[in-house]
Amino acid sequence: MRNKKERAISIIVTIIAVALGCLIILPVVYCIFGAFKARVEFGNYPPTFLPESFANLDNFKEALEKTPLLRFMMNSFIVSLMGTVARMAFAVLAAYAFAFFDFRGKTVLFFVILATMMLPGDTLTITNYLTVSRLNLLDTYLGMCITSFVGASQMFMLRQNFKTIPRELRDAAFMDGCGHLRFLWSVVLPIGKPVLMTLSVQSFINLWNAYLWPLLVTNREEMRTVQVGITMLTSVTGTNYHLILAAVTLTLIPSFILFVILRRNIVKGMTAGAIVG
Amino acid sequence: MASSKVSVSQKKSGFKRLEPYLFLAPIILFAVAFVYYPFFKTFLYSFSKVNVSGEITGFAGFENFAYLFGHRNFKKALFNTLKLTVMFVPLNLCFSMGCALLANKKRKLSSVYETMFTLPMAVPMSAVAMIFKILLSPTVGYVNYFLGINLGWFEDRKYAMFGILIVCLWMGMAFDFLLFLSALRGLPESVVEAAQLDGAGFFTRLFKVQIPLVMPTILYVVCTNLVLAMMTSGPVMIITEGGPSRSTTTLIYMMFTSGYQSSDYSLAACISIVTFALTFGMTALAFWFDSKRDDYS
Repeated sequence: MRNKKERAISIIVTIIAVALGCLIILPVVYCIFGAFKARVEFGNYPPTFLPESFANLDNFKEALEKTPLLRFMMNSFIVSLMGTVARMAFAVLAAYAFAFFDFRGKTVLFFVILATMMLPGDTLTITNYLTVSRLNLLDTYLGMCITSFVGASQMFMLRQNFKTIPRELRDAAFMDGCGHLRFLWSVVLPIGKPVLMTLSVQSFINLWNAYLWPLLVTNREEMRTVQVGITMLTSVTGTNYHLILAAVTLTLIPSFILFVILRRNIVKGMTAGAIVG
Repeated sequence: MASSKVSVSQKKSGFKRLEPYLFLAPIILFAVAFVYYPFFKTFLYSFSKVNVSGEITGFAGFENFAYLFGHRNFKKALFNTLKLTVMFVPLNLCFSMGCALLANKKRKLSSVYETMFTLPMAVPMSAVAMIFKILLSPTVGYVNYFLGINLGWFEDRKYAMFGILIVCLWMGMAFDFLLFLSALRGLPESVVEAAQLDGAGFFTRLFKVQIPLVMPTILYVVCTNLVLAMMTSGPVMIITEGGPSRSTTTLIYMMFTSGYQSSDYSLAACISIVTFALTFGMTALAFWFDSKRDDYS
């Protein structure tokens, strides 16, 4: 009796969850379906949800021809990669120092870095814009990522990870005359690789998704990132919704690939972030 | 010979003492240049007269703030931002927590709807904004037709902020859903089962056992969402450009337009300081409430 009731509840909950899930992914599905619609289908009333045919790939072709979408993606890729490499390198060095060195001012410096998380980046954009323009870095890849080189939460999580490395291992290595940099490179990094990879992919996604900062520091069209570029398509394509949705769908491909890569580790990384916050 | 040996070892120990600082140098350098320096500069700007190229030309005292607080657009922007925050934080909390409770128990289709719930995380903000702009459009959009209504989600100044709210909720819920899901699943099973055996119903279990136990996660979600909502600017910039008739102008959007487009840097700095102070105060308040709760329990 009780078992039957439980099963009924389970089925109802599943139905509700799937229905809710469908509602949540509706905008994405709408975007992908819209990318297959012909131009005239947007003029129809009533508006349709499904395209007339999924074999219609003209929109993608036209979007790639009419807009510098591939160039935008390349810009985004370069900026995200540069930003991620610098951020992770600096975070690894700092995390190593806090995990393996004893020095004066350790606690103070630790909090100096962590406190950067309390100052929301958006409130600093205008003054950072002035700095970057004085450094003549407007419309450059470096200027587009230079403000994201400080990764305090990444530093914190790496330090937590490095601290689990047994001291004996380090002492043995130093007895053999191994320096800090070599110990870091050949022992610490291989051990911390899973965390390092998760944090790197997360950083890459953050930089890939950035909008406000790349918008501020780019004026030339060929320097725009994907996120800035797709919002300006209306000026190129007019109000050709089929082209906009096709372009957006194309830009979602790399995002979804990253999402799939990250999905397995995402909860771990986030709960670690929750503890820091 | 002996003396040179001493000096070499001294040099070595000098380098050894310096070594940790060398490891820290890059991150500290960039933290100072792009977080602390701009923060103090913003603070300085808010009390100074600043020309269009960003040079300080004199001390202004509280003049900038007085001007800002008297500014009609600022009152509007402040009201809009607080309105969005007051709606976003509790709605997002309930919605993400509700989804997590729904998905808590592992079932046959768990992985299907979990992926659905987390999918919004994969979509960048600007893509979300572009999609919703078309989806909610009164002319070509599907939503109005489907619901049989004629609503200018982003065109009518009475509803435009709700349109922005929907976009923000859609973007915000996935992350918090995952946090709650892992927090709920991390609860010791014995505690929840004991409550169930005691005959506690769903709501008793929820309010007496589950919610108190995931309180740290709730606090974290509330704090991050307060900051997130107070900093809203992206969807506004892309979809409505602050309009219609400034009904969706938020503080950061106003900071952006007055600083970047009108080169009024002292005004932009004031807005930035006010936004920062408000956000900081709210977060502190959330922590204070949490500590009170600990005192009583």
